[in-house]
Amino acid sequence: MAGKTNRIGLEAVSYRGSKTTLCAGCGHNAISERIVDAFFEMGIEPSRVVKLSGIGCSSKSPAYFLGSAHGFNAVHGRMPSVGTGALLANGTLIAIGISGDGDTGAIGIGQFVHLMRRNLPIIYIIEDNGCYGLTKGQFSPTADLGSRLKTGVVNDLPPIDTCALAIELGATFVARSFSGDKKQLLAILKAALAHRGTVMLDVISPCVTFNDHEGSTKSYAYVKDHDDPLEEVSFVPFFEDISVDYAPGTTQEVTMHDGSKLYLKKLEDGYDPTDKIAALKRLHETQRRGEFATGIVYIEPDRDDFLEQLNTVDEPLAFLPLERVRPGREALEEIMESLR
Amino acid sequence: MNQPDVTIGIGGAAGDGVASAGNTLAVSVARQGQAVFAYNSYQSVIRGGHSWLRLRISAKKPLNHGDQVDAVIALNQDTLDRHLQELQAGGLVLYNSAKLKPRYEPPKGVQLCPLPVPQLTPAYEKLPVMQNTVAVGAAMHLMGLDFEGLASVLESTFAKKPQVVKVNVEAAKAGFDYAAAHFQPLPKQLQKTSRKWALMTGNELMAMGAAFAGCKFYCAYPMSPATHILEWFAGHAKELGICVRQVEDEISVVNMSIGAGHMGVRSMCATSGGGLALMTEAIGMAGMIETPVVVVNVMRAGPSTGVPTKTEQADLNQAFGASQGDFPRIVIAPLSMHDCFRTPALAFNLAERYQCPVIILADLLMCEDNETVDTSLLDVDFTIDRGELMTEANAQFDGKPYLRYEDTPSGISPRAMPGLPNHLYVSGTDEHDEDGVLLSDVFTDPVRRKKMVDKRARKMDTVLDHVPAPTLEGAVGAELTLVGWGSTWGVLVEAVERLNQEGISANHLQINLLVPFHVKAVTDILSRSKNIVIVENNFSGQFARHLRAETGLVARGHIRKYDGEPFEPKHIVAGVKEILAGKDLVNVLSTEPGWRTDHPTGTSGDWAGRLVGAARSV
Repeated sequence: MAGKTNRIGLEAVSYRGSKTTLCAGCGHNAISERIVDAFFEMGIEPSRVVKLSGIGCSSKSPAYFLGSAHGFNAVHGRMPSVGTGALLANGTLIAIGISGDGDTGAIGIGQFVHLMRRNLPIIYIIEDNGCYGLTKGQFSPTADLGSRLKTGVVNDLPPIDTCALAIELGATFVARSFSGDKKQLLAILKAALAHRGTVMLDVISPCVTFNDHEGSTKSYAYVKDHDDPLEEVSFVPFFEDISVDYAPGTTQEVTMHDGSKLYLKKLEDGYDPTDKIAALKRLHETQRRGEFATGIVYIEPDRDDFLEQLNTVDEPLAFLPLERVRPGREALEEIMESLR
Repeated sequence: MNQPDVTIGIGGAAGDGVASAGNTLAVSVARQGQAVFAYNSYQSVIRGGHSWLRLRISAKKPLNHGDQVDAVIALNQDTLDRHLQELQAGGLVLYNSAKLKPRYEPPKGVQLCPLPVPQLTPAYEKLPVMQNTVAVGAAMHLMGLDFEGLASVLESTFAKKPQVVKVNVEAAKAGFDYAAAHFQPLPKQLQKTSRKWALMTGNELMAMGAAFAGCKFYCAYPMSPATHILEWFAGHAKELGICVRQVEDEISVVNMSIGAGHMGVRSMCATSGGGLALMTEAIGMAGMIETPVVVVNVMRAGPSTGVPTKTEQADLNQAFGASQGDFPRIVIAPLSMHDCFRTPALAFNLAERYQCPVIILADLLMCEDNETVDTSLLDVDFTIDRGELMTEANAQFDGKPYLRYEDTPSGISPRAMPGLPNHLYVSGTDEHDEDGVLLSDVFTDPVRRKKMVDKRARKMDTVLDHVPAPTLEGAVGAELTLVGWGSTWGVLVEAVERLNQEGISANHLQINLLVPFHVKAVTDILSRSKNIVIVENNFSGQFARHLRAETGLVARGHIRKYDGEPFEPKHIVAGVKEILAGKDLVNVLSTEPGWRTDHPTGTSGDWAGRLVGAARSV
């Protein structure tokens, strides 16, 4: 029986990956499912996608979605630079990078910082559970101050807020979500696919095995109780002819790079995600209250991305034919003339 | 050598204009058909310190900076004090007599050439660099060359500032004429020729060699002495259509290069030993995911920060051991300037054919020194071998699932350009099976693990077919065979020539492919050698150990140097004599007055006499 097809005629099954080897109930699996949904609903050709990752539980997850896309599992914390090189060589690819809180916040923090500065067209997802699962649950740098391990160890260092850092460094689409919030996460992922530039998406994704107990601030129960949505996110892709009605002043409309529309319905206090300073203030305030601000924290839809700033040929460097990669004798003589 | 050669030393503090005076001089003589080998010994300071640039000039291309200066241009008192004693009879020293006075007696027969710079350039008294231009003008006359060659260089150097051209040409002419009227020319006079030379560094040639072999992606973190490769690429990125990026650190640099190379672009990066240390993790990744990447290490004296502006060949072990685990890699050490130009093309071809990392081991000496090159001898039409690369143009889909890491007889698996329909795969840094699926999580699978290690290792079996074996230079059956690797080729050629002139029969073998090693060819040559002497620019004899590991051959003697300065021919000649007299290890120390740690600038005493003696007793 044929299932529903998307705008390029593919069924959802074309977007699935292999069976997960992560723990049952791991937040990462829910994120993989939303990624499948988003790419299917947006009608992205899987063979145009490159999935990048580092090392860790999160970084294994690209195997569990888009099985017919190209994959690159780099080494720990190095995905940002591998991805940058890959896209500089072939900017026609759609890049999604999956990292974790250790892969990003610890060993890869230097690379993360510079990736955010570049505004490279990549969707960078941190599957954030505040601990190292593969090595049995040690704290990572996003663990909250005072959060407690099963063994009783208390985290004694303040967390790195990857969203605040990304905004500070120049990322143009910064969001936070929760693996358990299907609707919000899917809307954000679809909007991310319409954005041209770096999308930094931190998804709180509880580790059921090592960090889902009383005393942890990254457990399912804690996150559900402390989720502070900034707005109600809805997304209308450019290829769907849907008009959204809203009362004046209640909803912010953002036009994306490809013509898609993002509707952010304001909740009680009228949050404006295009105001950088307000975004940083809100992140700090919610953190002080021990809460998570979720939704689109900051968006700047119009800035040039990294590839548009480079003065190379438009077509991918990777595809240049032999006769165009060798400058030849005449060009050499011209250069040599300045050295005589 | 039949052609006369003249060596001029220019000394001053950083900021005195040593390099620009040297460059003017070098290009001026090159325009008169002279070849130049210029080596600058300097320190890691922006201002101050002591820079000592030696230019060896001859119609026949000098292969090293020589070991005897004929003329010194002293831009400060320190230079005059340090280097006056190095001159021999017939030599001369030029200096601004309004600023400097010799504080020691010159050696016998050495001519003092004071230049009254303020009187010669009265209109520009306030411009301190005028003394440099005046001295260069004087030197041009004393070597027997024309003024026009110099004037034309000043005109092109300052082309955008006519007033500056005028000032400099007048000053240079004043120096030229003053020397003609007041000083004895050097005993060795250079003869103009019509040969055309271009002046450049090994770094520039390496960058050009890469660019002309199809390199379209270059990134780097600035690190001496490799920075000029980045600068060359940055300066030519637009005109040649190359993506050039300065990146946050060497970890990102190499990962970016690998990312680009993985997508199908020829990509290169360069650094020095400290940067290579950061790159080692990713070099192993390239080995595991079988992605081509070319990494240049312009070696400087280590360990750690080491001596950033000094040369050494001590990163061989580092290149062998870069990254954990066993995987195929290729290590090449260029021998000469022409080799700097050729090597990137070879490295790219090998990296793509064998889908592995290639490390080019160059060093500060060959990459930062300026040499003239006859560009008509550079073969720019490199063969480009992209190996078994599958693109839209040549890929055929036979319906079978694509195996990126297929276990083929050669070990080389056809590499599909990422994004090629029906040829999608995952590159994993974990051990993986032929289809790219990770093996590391499979409960103990020794058969597949071994199969994949064997497959990768097997690729190396045919590398030697693509790289010419080294050949013996000089007479077969000589008493001694000097063996070197990389940049010492030029100094060894001259040392062998001198040994033969002195009646010590010697020949020479220079190695440029270090991994894999031409075991059979090298064994064939060296097993017939009567006495092997290995010459290398490091402390522990890293190459000697490698040679013994690969061939079982043990050398009769070793000549090593690790004081920061490069070998000069005389060091090797003297070292060989010591070995013939029974020593098995000679550690050479540069003992010219400029390098003495007990240099007593500002004091007087008997050191001049001691130093002359010391300088001659290597």
